[in-house]
Amino acid sequence: MKKETILLLAAVLVLPLVLRPAIASEIWIFAIFGLGLNLLLGYTGLLSFGQATFFGSAAYVAGWLLKHYGIDVFLALGTGVFVGAASAALVGYLCVQRSGLYFIMLTFALNQLFYFVAYQWTSVTGGEDGMPGIPRPAFLGIDFREPLPYYVFVSALFLLSLWIMKRIVESPLGRILQAIRENEVRAEAVGYDVARFKLAAFVIGGAFSGLAGVLYAMLFGIVPLEAIGFVTSGNVVFATLIGGSGSLYGPIIGSFVFIWLSESVSTLWARWPLLLGVAFVIVVLFFRGGVVEAWSRFWSWRSSKPKT
Amino acid sequence: MSLLAGQILNGIATGMLYALMGLGLSLITGILNIPNFAHGALFAVGAYLLVTLVGAIGNFWIGLVVAPLGVALLGLLIEYAGIRRLYAAGHDYQLLFTFGLSLILAEGIILIWGPVGISHLPPAILRGGMDLGFTFYPKYRLFVMVVAGLLVAATWLFLEKTRYGAIMRAGIENKEMVSLLGIDIHRLFTAAFALGAYLAGIAGALTAPIRGLSPGMGVDMLGIAFVVVALGGLGNLLGAIAAGLLIGVAQAVVAAYWTEASTVVIYAVMAAVLLVRPQGLFGIR
Amino acid sequence: MSKLERRDILKIGALAATGLAFPAIVRAQSKEIVILGLWDQTGAFADVGPLNDRGMRMALEERDMKVLGRPIRYVTRDGATQAGEGARFIVGPWSSGVALAVSEVAKRKKVVHLFSGGTEDISGSRCHRYSFQWAASPYTAAKTVVDNFMKANPKAKRWHLLVADYAFGWSVEKYVKEVGKTHGIEFVGADRHPLGEREFSNYVQKAAANKPDVVAMINFGGDAVAGAREIFNFGLTPKLPLIMSWSSGVEELVQLAPEIRDNLWVGTNFYYTADTPVAKSFVKSYQAKFKLPPGYAPSAAYSMTRMLLAGFDKAKSDDVQAVVKALEGLEMNDIVGPMRVDGATHQTLRPYFFLRCKPKAAMKHELDFADVVATGDAPLPKEYAACKDIGSF
Repeated sequence: MKKETILLLAAVLVLPLVLRPAIASEIWIFAIFGLGLNLLLGYTGLLSFGQATFFGSAAYVAGWLLKHYGIDVFLALGTGVFVGAASAALVGYLCVQRSGLYFIMLTFALNQLFYFVAYQWTSVTGGEDGMPGIPRPAFLGIDFREPLPYYVFVSALFLLSLWIMKRIVESPLGRILQAIRENEVRAEAVGYDVARFKLAAFVIGGAFSGLAGVLYAMLFGIVPLEAIGFVTSGNVVFATLIGGSGSLYGPIIGSFVFIWLSESVSTLWARWPLLLGVAFVIVVLFFRGGVVEAWSRFWSWRSSKPKT
Repeated sequence: MSLLAGQILNGIATGMLYALMGLGLSLITGILNIPNFAHGALFAVGAYLLVTLVGAIGNFWIGLVVAPLGVALLGLLIEYAGIRRLYAAGHDYQLLFTFGLSLILAEGIILIWGPVGISHLPPAILRGGMDLGFTFYPKYRLFVMVVAGLLVAATWLFLEKTRYGAIMRAGIENKEMVSLLGIDIHRLFTAAFALGAYLAGIAGALTAPIRGLSPGMGVDMLGIAFVVVALGGLGNLLGAIAAGLLIGVAQAVVAAYWTEASTVVIYAVMAAVLLVRPQGLFGIR
Repeated sequence: MSKLERRDILKIGALAATGLAFPAIVRAQSKEIVILGLWDQTGAFADVGPLNDRGMRMALEERDMKVLGRPIRYVTRDGATQAGEGARFIVGPWSSGVALAVSEVAKRKKVVHLFSGGTEDISGSRCHRYSFQWAASPYTAAKTVVDNFMKANPKAKRWHLLVADYAFGWSVEKYVKEVGKTHGIEFVGADRHPLGEREFSNYVQKAAANKPDVVAMINFGGDAVAGAREIFNFGLTPKLPLIMSWSSGVEELVQLAPEIRDNLWVGTNFYYTADTPVAKSFVKSYQAKFKLPPGYAPSAAYSMTRMLLAGFDKAKSDDVQAVVKALEGLEMNDIVGPMRVDGATHQTLRPYFFLRCKPKAAMKHELDFADVVATGDAPLPKEYAACKDIGSF
């Protein structure tokens, strides 16, 4: 087994012993979210600044069904994935026609559209107070209401998602997306319908975001309004960049760093977003490859030190 | 009839502010080609600076002149110390940087002025309203309409009619050409960012007596500024002005009949337009 | 609109609602009684949190942070950060929407919960053995405001309402309309605005278009201040009277210029000139410390805390069930005057204040905003009571 796989499995096993299972679950959920984003950002070169649209929409719809119709876990997951993918198809269709700054701004603005709809549609979404009372139905007879069983479920789904994403990026589709990232014009010239492939990346990324959204809703029993807001969109981008968008594992590391930091620092200082902002600025100015690159730079520096 | 007329007036007033924001952002995105997610925070800083200055020196007019200059100075600093290093870095890092800045500024505002919303009155001469015949309208809003309109016009004239403005517009079209002509591209960028920041700052300062201050006031404006630029066409200055007014009026008119939808309608209009014309209303394909 | 960061209390509330434990950051020592003040430091009510904290602290410090001979540990956790700490006694939050979530948590965790706010559901459809409502019932408020306003302005039959689109807004609006019916009032318009709204021009123009005799706002804090200003700027007041039905009193009035307060009528849970011995001493100490007299926010926190402490005293124990039983039927004279907790609904029956603001010329000092023209304490009639059974432990 490769080094990364061993590390990852170890992390999955050890984490709930070190952190509260709920926080540990949140980390894996956010990692799934990050994997979806990174297919767009790292692999296709599309900076989607509105992923919360898919995450939040999936959470609301699945949450609604769970709460009012008592659907089972499978259906909830499926709904999340579907809603994530469908909303991404919609948004993607509007966005892939543009590139560069336009694209980024469009994803942001469309995110705001969904956000304000959720904000105003209080009868369904609960508006500012969110949608509470979301149950966690049992799975094959296993009661998920305790944090640890749910953690096992979430981490298993994470490992599955990671495996799927790995297959995707190593597949021909994945290679085409990377070609698009490298040189869109050339890819088009070679004969690929770039817009269609971008849309495909969107939809897949949206599906992952949707899965994360459902799991999030079931983790906290509530869909807060912020789940569909631009701050969430921003958080997943930043976590991925901090971890390093150049690799499959970057978003995972980023999720660790981000969730752990935000959970622990936020209790200490209400103004912790200031530190977050400072961290972003420092990362951008000095550590652009993120943790992954800093780590490899560190290793190559170490191995290049002259031995006395 | 009076309701609709009054709403359209509201729309023009807010539309002028939106146009200022859009104009500034369009300049920055057009010339520097970076996603400036700190634009809303600059708006907020302008508002807070105005209120602080007025509180300190007691004169609204001086505050209105100085506060945006303060924001322009801040913009200069930001460009020089940070953004300048990131032109080659790629949009994701530029975004991360400007977003980090917006967090620092917003939290900084809370640290300095507290999380409480502050309300601020217009200067005495502009309080209350006046009878316009078809409706009774607040004096301050009329003032904002006039001042913002003059600013928009002044910015437009600067860009269209002056040499430096022509350089800026050329910078939007083709940066390489501009630097080949021997113009210091770095100074152009700094000036553009400072001008964009100035416009955001004065929009904020003008808004302060209408909406009061709150640390989150920049966030909503950011989204609107992006819509204006997307609708108007990136780097299209006339487009930004027209889009700003359009959105302002649309929002106000919708608010008259379906208040809950008035914020959503901005984004819905944008989505609808872009479906039909992906380049925006005035953008070039 | 800054409505971020309340995710965590909702998160914790939801976590607890699904049967999970509160995260325990620090274990309470066995002698201490931990009382949690859930006051917002961020979000739409961020400016109110520190005020609540002041009031609660003053009530605890009056007793030297001790009750039943044991030390009190006062913990504040933002509505936006982790609640917990093994607290069995919760006061707050301020937001009526979040309070409903917290009330569910209190029921699940079986902890005592005191709340002051305008949603009638806490002592109504969502009533249960563990939550108590300090604020006057929205019915009491509406009756006090409408009855007394109509006494002074009998011809003002066309009302336009401007309501915050939130739990407390809906409750008060409902009863203003009910009571209004008995006066033959015609509600020519009723608009709801989002919490935290600052751009009122559209709402004001719509109000003006309906040609009302009076505009009544049901909103709070910054929203009320912004609304009152625009109503003035657009020329509705002072020709038309403006009512602020559920005001925080001083904290809002001090932000309005005197010309805006002309023909302004205010309903509030507490006004600082209340003529009771407890109020006088509280106002004096508060003003000495904080310059401004207290409005509704710190006063509610102060009085709720005193109520809780009285509950401990009466129960002679800190056992949750004993305290609940002691609070039911508790009578005390506090800042608002005589208060009694209705055991069947956990609603506090107490006076609500109605004020008329003074024109600048009549103000004797810069804080002399208004006179109390009446108080009302009409309880919610049985036919409206949605709390059919307070339930068991």
